[in-house]
Amino acid sequence: MTHFQQITNEPAHLEIERLTVAYGRRRVLDTISFRVEYGERVVLVGPNGAGKSTLFKALVGLVKPQSGTIRIHGLPPGAHRDCVAYVPQREEVDWRFPVTVADVVMMGRFGRLGWFRRPTRADRIAVERGMELMGIAHLAHRPIGELSGGQQQRVFLARALAQEPHILLLDEPFTGVDAATQEATLSVLDALRDQHVTIILSTHDLGLAAAHFERVLLINRRLIGDGPPARALRRELLTEAFGGQVLTLPDGLVLVDQCACDHPETESIAIT
Amino acid sequence: MSILWSWIIAPLEYGFMQRGVLAAALVGILCAIIGCYVVLRSMAFLGDALAHAVLPGVAIAYLMGTNLTAGALVAAVVVALLIGVFSRQGVIKEDTAIGIVFAAALALGVALISSVRTYAVDLTHIMFGNVLGVSPADLWLIVGIGAAVLLTLLAFYRQFLVIAFDPVLAATQRLPVELLRMLLLLLIALTIVVSLQTVGVGLVAAMLVTPGATAYLLTRRLPAMMAVAALIGALSSIAGLYLSYYVNIASGAAVVLVATATFTVVFLVAPGRGILWRQG
Repeated sequence: MTHFQQITNEPAHLEIERLTVAYGRRRVLDTISFRVEYGERVVLVGPNGAGKSTLFKALVGLVKPQSGTIRIHGLPPGAHRDCVAYVPQREEVDWRFPVTVADVVMMGRFGRLGWFRRPTRADRIAVERGMELMGIAHLAHRPIGELSGGQQQRVFLARALAQEPHILLLDEPFTGVDAATQEATLSVLDALRDQHVTIILSTHDLGLAAAHFERVLLINRRLIGDGPPARALRRELLTEAFGGQVLTLPDGLVLVDQCACDHPETESIAIT
Repeated sequence: MSILWSWIIAPLEYGFMQRGVLAAALVGILCAIIGCYVVLRSMAFLGDALAHAVLPGVAIAYLMGTNLTAGALVAAVVVALLIGVFSRQGVIKEDTAIGIVFAAALALGVALISSVRTYAVDLTHIMFGNVLGVSPADLWLIVGIGAAVLLTLLAFYRQFLVIAFDPVLAATQRLPVELLRMLLLLLIALTIVVSLQTVGVGLVAAMLVTPGATAYLLTRRLPAMMAVAALIGALSSIAGLYLSYYVNIASGAAVVLVATATFTVVFLVAPGRGILWRQG
């Protein structure tokens, strides 16, 4: 972690200290600690059930930690209404709901609007920009039920962009989407880096994680690896995180075989 | 033309029929609009449970000689809260909690009413409505509570939209999700109470669900869905009442049957979503 401390004297935007989350008696996250600095870009990897989604939910205050602390700008989660945007997995909402793309993206502004203020010009511009960045402006008045999986993912991202967050959390944005959506998402993430938006993204795709992110958090209930891809995705750490799903070939290739819910095609390769 | 006109106008010569038509139309509109949330959030079973839960409240109010509507209202709120409490901790599922509370309330209601000598008549009225017995005071109550419910829905439109579509987003935006859910239950309870006179405990769930489900097939945005549902609710209520007048059948049942017939037709032929359309 040392090489991150030299970046800045700014306060850490995200500090997680000895975070433990349990559902009933089952510990989903076990004494996890890490810091994410201002504008950093972090990818979260680990097998199914490793607690990736739970970590996100804890960060936005949707699940209560059993112990440990989360600090955002030095304050507990919930102190900020809209500085953290969370893009959940697509299955979390009913896509047959009678709303249009523009309606959903506008929901990203509701946190700012408060209870009774009507959307202003600034809100509409933010909505427009979010849709344009994700290439869905032409779908603005379509009902969401008519969209493809990739387009649905873009709607969620556009909504998060409309929120103009400082910290963006994306849960499996590449699962089950087309190549074009993946490209659009990656290029938006690049643009956000220039605006110093802190990004934490989870994925099954270890190759993509290694190619596009400077820091990897490898978790399976505990934090197993933390650092640049070459360091965090070493063979012994992958074996520890993925257990029997790891196959080491004679030439040093490490295969990680995992089935993402209904997408059994995922088979990522990391080279050590 | 004049025959049709007199056919429409004839029943309205009676004051009770005028009040009945007005009450049925207002209740039809109110149920249909709030019913859109019931449809979208899959709360049909909950609506039915709340309606039946009103029974013991009415019975207790009758036994105590107080206002029946007030009794119904108190009972509906208590049951809404009980369901919320039972299912909140995730120990049992919400539909199980509803099943338990709903059957218990119904049993309590029947037990209490059966202890009253003249229960047969009253029970029928409560179960299936008595729209032709609407007094001017009842009508004012419907107007007052209906206006309060609709204004609340309008004021919190954005919040109800978010918790219905994406409760996770609502929670990350620090909306009081539980409180808003309770408020929605309370509004549904109020709607049910003012509907008792027209369609009764047994059939109010149909008025909450059927017009909303029909409008869902015809529209693509929530405000449009609410407007179409309100229109269907009002027209089915009025048409049902005329049907009951001329064919001489129970008014609440007639209203629900007209609404169901409308749904069936739309289900078959709705542009883009109807069964026939898909096959054609």
